[in-house]
Amino acid sequence: MFAKPIPVLMMALMAGLVFAPSASAQLADVAVVVNPSNPVSSLSLIELRKIFAGEKRSWQGGAPVHPFVRPPGCHERLVLLRLLGMSESEYKQHWTTLVFRGEVGSEPSSVPSIGMQKEALSVFSGAITLVDANDVKPGMKVIKIDGHLPGEPGYPVH
Amino acid sequence: MLRVRWATIAILILSRQLSAQTPSSNDAQTIEVLVQQVKALQQETIELRQRVKALETEKASTPSPQAVSTPEPPAPEPASTSSIAASPQDSFPLHELRGIQWRGFGEVDYKVLNQRKPELGTDGFVAGSAGNFFTGDFDLFLSSQLTDRSSVLAEIVFQEGDAQSYKVDLRRVLLKYDFNDHLKLSFGRYQTGIGYYNWAFRSAAWLQTTNDRPLIMEYATDGGLLPTQAIGVSATGSIPSGTLGLNYLAEYGSSDTIRPDIDGSGLLNDENNGNHVLLGAFARPDWARGLQFGSSIYHDKISNLHGGLNERYGQTIVNAYAAYVAHGLELLNEGFLIRHAELHGSDLFNMPAFYTQASKRVRQFRPFVRYQYVNANPRSVFEDVLLRHGPSFGSRYDLNDFIAFTAQLDHTVRKGQPDLNGLQLQFAFTF
Repeated sequence: MFAKPIPVLMMALMAGLVFAPSASAQLADVAVVVNPSNPVSSLSLIELRKIFAGEKRSWQGGAPVHPFVRPPGCHERLVLLRLLGMSESEYKQHWTTLVFRGEVGSEPSSVPSIGMQKEALSVFSGAITLVDANDVKPGMKVIKIDGHLPGEPGYPVH
Repeated sequence: MLRVRWATIAILILSRQLSAQTPSSNDAQTIEVLVQQVKALQQETIELRQRVKALETEKASTPSPQAVSTPEPPAPEPASTSSIAASPQDSFPLHELRGIQWRGFGEVDYKVLNQRKPELGTDGFVAGSAGNFFTGDFDLFLSSQLTDRSSVLAEIVFQEGDAQSYKVDLRRVLLKYDFNDHLKLSFGRYQTGIGYYNWAFRSAAWLQTTNDRPLIMEYATDGGLLPTQAIGVSATGSIPSGTLGLNYLAEYGSSDTIRPDIDGSGLLNDENNGNHVLLGAFARPDWARGLQFGSSIYHDKISNLHGGLNERYGQTIVNAYAAYVAHGLELLNEGFLIRHAELHGSDLFNMPAFYTQASKRVRQFRPFVRYQYVNANPRSVFEDVLLRHGPSFGSRYDLNDFIAFTAQLDHTVRKGQPDLNGLQLQFAFTF
């Protein structure tokens, strides 16, 4: 007598799973922001990766790049690690190695708050950092990545 | 039928409720992010409070404005990178003290060989003993950013010698100036770009996967065959090359080298090297992240003291390598051809060498295998080396981000001598 209801129940279960709302909203895009005086308005994803991997250290024109990062655990940090394809531990070892080789003077400075990110951007003309797209403030110049701004379809930093 | 409909509706409602109540991994991630943000805000509040307190103290200790003429408010001082970076939650790879960043590297080793006839003992290892402990290199690395484009880098190494004596070696001291990504200059004592290993691993055991350097890349002062260090000028930078990621390297300097024989004879070979020129190029393609391949050519003139001071040779060292380090995988392959050509005679020695190393990170473990080969001519300055080849096996275990333990077994086939088997255990650390 239960032969018929079982497939219906199965379908109902599957339908429930499919139509159930996702448990949390997708994490927001992360904006790439620079000092407002920086003439750069777009970068490719590869260039962005090179900057935060310490392989590209000057802007077009020769001004030094000053990358700033958020501390471990922040959303921006997770996005950064995803961008570089590294774990937290690998990230630390990567920068220690670069500094030790003499390829870079120091690892990117870590800033604990958005306010301090904004401060860093205003102080260093070559500064670049990642900010949750919802937290972008006046005084931060958002640049395009692979031709897209945060929120646009195809934006790759999230 | 009605029952079935009701059951379906009930299941749909239940499944929605359950999915809403069960925290997914995304929720956990979001909560973690929020917690971190709260922590960051708390930290910022603490810092602001401290700043206010400091300002109040300063104000209290300053004479009243009526008593002195009001000074111009100081121009806002650009916040230093370090002041922005001062977050106690974050452990930085480098420590900073008055603008000088520093980091230390050290090691404690135990080594035992199956042959008692001594070979060269370096880093405190007593060759010929049944096995002993030693501390290898204790390395202090210092760097300081002078301006936006210039910096100083120094590496001071305390190396264990015989009977727990230590010698100090200023292994690197460099004044660096980066014009841009295409031109970066360094002046001072540097490690030559003669091979990938010399460039990539420098002298900290903690950065290496294996316990020791391959023989061909060993420091000349520790019996290595190549001029691994020099004093002079070095230029490097990227070459516009699209996705190929091409870079160049040029060096001109003095690499005067004295190398001890590695066969335990106790002899020293002063090569009396003239100034050297090194030209190299390497690529880091965008389309294969982690891949680096390149080549270099090195040239100088050396003496072969066995033939008298006047016996001078042109030394040309050609190197080619391919290295892949990504996704926990490390593949290093490097080959050399050392060519010694007598300047006023007909002697010509072509000596090949290579090593290949593979390792894969599996959680905290990194098992590795390495095979190395050197074939030196008995009439050359490397008469102590001759033919040596063999594998090494082992594994590194990272206890945490600062301490690693490595166990390594070596088997070396030596021409005219019994094979050499060795076991080396090492704790390498950074602080």
